[in-house]
Amino acid sequence: MDYLGQLLANGLVLGAIYALAAVAFTLVYGVVRLVNFAFGELFMLGAFLTASLMLPEVRLLGAIVPMPGFSLPVAAAGAIALTAALGVLVDRIAYRPLRNAPRLAPLITSIAVSVVLQSLAQTVWGAEELRFPEFHLATLPPVVLFDSIYLSVMDLVVMATALAAMLGLSAFIARSSLGRAMRASAEDQMAATLVGIPVNRVVAAAFAIGSGFAALAGLLYAQTYGFAHSSMGFLPGLKALTAAVLGGIGSIPGAALGGLILGLVEALGSGYLPNGTAWKDAISFVLLVGLLYLRPQGLLGKPELNSAGRGSLLGGASEFGAGWLRAAFGKLDGGLARAASAGTPAALGLLALALVVGALLPSDYWLRILTLVVIYGMLASGLNVIVGFAGLLDLGFVAFWAVGAYLTSILFVLVLKDQFGVEPATIWWLLYLNLPLAGLLAAGFAVMLGTPTLRLRGDYLAIMTLGFGEIVRVVAINWMDLTNGPMGIRGIPAPNLFGIALGSPRAQFFFALALAVVVVFAIARLVRSYVGRAWVAIREDEEAAEAMGVPTARYKLYAYAASGFVGGFVGVFYAHTQQYISPLNFSLFENILLLMLVVLGGLGTFIGPFVGALIWIVFLQLALDLPFVQAYPETRFALLGIVLIVLMVFRPQGLAASARVALTMPGARPANAKEAA
Amino acid sequence: MKPLTGAPSPAPLLEARAITVRFGGLQAVGDLDMAIGRNAIHGLIGPNGAGKTTVLNVLTGFVRPTEGELVFDGAEIGGLGVNGFARRGLARTFQNIRLFGAMTVLESVLVGAHQRFSANALSLVFGRRAARAAEAAMIARAYELLAFVGLGAEVADRVATTLSYGHQRRVEIARALISSPKLLLLDEPLAGMNAVEKAEIADLVRQVRAQGIAVLLIEHDMQVVRRLCDHLTVLEYGRKLADGPPEQVLADPAVQAAYLGRAR
Repeated sequence: MDYLGQLLANGLVLGAIYALAAVAFTLVYGVVRLVNFAFGELFMLGAFLTASLMLPEVRLLGAIVPMPGFSLPVAAAGAIALTAALGVLVDRIAYRPLRNAPRLAPLITSIAVSVVLQSLAQTVWGAEELRFPEFHLATLPPVVLFDSIYLSVMDLVVMATALAAMLGLSAFIARSSLGRAMRASAEDQMAATLVGIPVNRVVAAAFAIGSGFAALAGLLYAQTYGFAHSSMGFLPGLKALTAAVLGGIGSIPGAALGGLILGLVEALGSGYLPNGTAWKDAISFVLLVGLLYLRPQGLLGKPELNSAGRGSLLGGASEFGAGWLRAAFGKLDGGLARAASAGTPAALGLLALALVVGALLPSDYWLRILTLVVIYGMLASGLNVIVGFAGLLDLGFVAFWAVGAYLTSILFVLVLKDQFGVEPATIWWLLYLNLPLAGLLAAGFAVMLGTPTLRLRGDYLAIMTLGFGEIVRVVAINWMDLTNGPMGIRGIPAPNLFGIALGSPRAQFFFALALAVVVVFAIARLVRSYVGRAWVAIREDEEAAEAMGVPTARYKLYAYAASGFVGGFVGVFYAHTQQYISPLNFSLFENILLLMLVVLGGLGTFIGPFVGALIWIVFLQLALDLPFVQAYPETRFALLGIVLIVLMVFRPQGLAASARVALTMPGARPANAKEAA
Repeated sequence: MKPLTGAPSPAPLLEARAITVRFGGLQAVGDLDMAIGRNAIHGLIGPNGAGKTTVLNVLTGFVRPTEGELVFDGAEIGGLGVNGFARRGLARTFQNIRLFGAMTVLESVLVGAHQRFSANALSLVFGRRAARAAEAAMIARAYELLAFVGLGAEVADRVATTLSYGHQRRVEIARALISSPKLLLLDEPLAGMNAVEKAEIADLVRQVRAQGIAVLLIEHDMQVVRRLCDHLTVLEYGRKLADGPPEQVLADPAVQAAYLGRAR
């Protein structure tokens, strides 16, 4: 009972914080139907700003800067106001131009904003934790309930603040005219505009309030755990999003309920399950996945929120005014699109170029980088099957990659070498067996994960697959016996062919190219058949596809399987070239990166993913030569984020958006019909 | 059991028995019995909001009726999913044309042939001869059908949604026909067309029937309906108001009242 009571109390404190952050997600989603991933970072900034304002001096960009040293309430108010202003600014710059853009664009933009804010925070405050200054209330003795449950005064303050903020917000939305306008805009933005509601101002208000709530949640979180860190917003942000979805996204009481449930379940889970603290992150995501499966609209939400407009993920255009930048992107699109849809000759040309470069490039360093380009290009191609062709936004793709990488590493290192003492060089052929084996295993895995998502669309699908990806990562970290946990697996042998080690960067580059040819060829063959046509039909209009006799559920699973196969297949090679893998290699960031590569190079094309990978990885390397970037390496990611935001705002349909591939088998046309362009 | 011989008329192709559809508290279709004969051009008419599209959605599996059963070609099909209806031989077009964006005309039409393909993933990846032959046969069939609906081969590689409205309708019909259906269901195929186009599409419908495919047609133009259909079902407020040959049905005072308003 005492133990249970203490867990419940801890759960309530955590739940109150999740609930506050969940309000941010729910409020903005309710008004603009945008999952603003950046709230996790605003949460973190709330913590940093409060801590900075409370301290006498802070080290910013490496220099000691004097600070006012406010007390907690004053600092908190200042931090909340600053974060709210930042939230409004982000909306104005990054999201407002995309109000009528295709649905993937704002989602990617919000992820990019997230990346920018996090890397800027790390640049400014440094990579170390900032200790959260103690507030004098925190030094008071804890309150003891029922003789055994300890609650610090600050815990009570956290709960009281959360309760007051929620009640205040509910009253504001129910009573004030801005609140009424918000509800009207949430129901129907077009109608709200027509009756004279300044929707842009209403949206800005939603962002201001949401960002303020995120900041409040963040500073309470940092106060409770005693530190602020640039990556502290990531998991709580996902949890808050989970809480919002749990309660029914768009519903404020739902966010409160979802937050509390999540906090309690996490506290109880970590208290009672064996090794529970390690698994508590998985608990939330299992809860999320289970709920989305059984009741996608959440506990208090409306079912229609689980729907997304028909049509391409990235079709349509930005409403941003014309400008030279837009024109430039258009030109670039033309070029990329021509390259991406030029078909077999272009692909062969590119391959020949890659072979020549691979043979002549003198630098091992650049060969390694180009190998990485090919690997990421292949992975992005796998993701492209499901996102680009079938139109299903999958944020859990890294899991399939991890399955492949772990399968081969466990077999080679943990089982054969460590258990049976088999030298890897003597069983070099196992790698070639593992490639298809891992592909099949990951495909099976993908079908397993895909099945419960079949009823979900749009943002909900993204959130559920994200939950899956995170579960796999948490399992990889915590299932020590299978995966060696966070230490990862070392000593994975380099690829080997008939006893000849292919350890040199040049050999590995050619190996990667060979695999890429297989991957692209197989994907192209599938896409240029009735299977690919069924996928694109599902992407464009699922109901019409079904009416044409396409069993859409089965074809979605085929898309998952194909994408999973590529992930597992490439994962095997990845493990052998890196020779070391750990759960860190398969984070959500990697998945987002792959998604960005696909969008950058052109969704639904064969060469696009490679073009995207080339642009990004070469950009990263070149950026390393800039003196500023050398001083602050984190700004590379901020730069990537900014490039992406600019790209999305001016060209939400992606760089090679006008590229499309033919969906019929080449050479299968009757002689009298004209050859396709 | 011996089959009945000398029955007065062959069993209808599609029989809907006591179909009721309720959306929440609203009854959209009430206790509807309807039979579509083999080789018939069957008109489904009625004032706006009478439930015609709901009936068509029931007959194609889009809406599962609250009560009642559907028998198609001798088999109960009520429990099938939408693609199951298509696989049994019911093909449809949509009131608001729903072609696949970003697909060419040829590709869109080929989606309609989906159920006629059977090659597995490996034979596709390795480009087995059977897979290639099936693709080539269906492409040839698609070209035939494009010609059949009155479109030239030159539109085949254009993105379908960039065609004119009338041409998009024809692509939709070709897409439905390539599955070799037994029944083609057309939801207002003549909407928004001029007299010449209407005559052409009406002619097309007759040619479809001449190939042994029954047609169910929702239409508002009574002139066309009278000339084209050989059986009519009239709906009002989701209930069947009249059923029978066009001359008889259109002369029915109750039908005239439903269209023109009741005499006071």
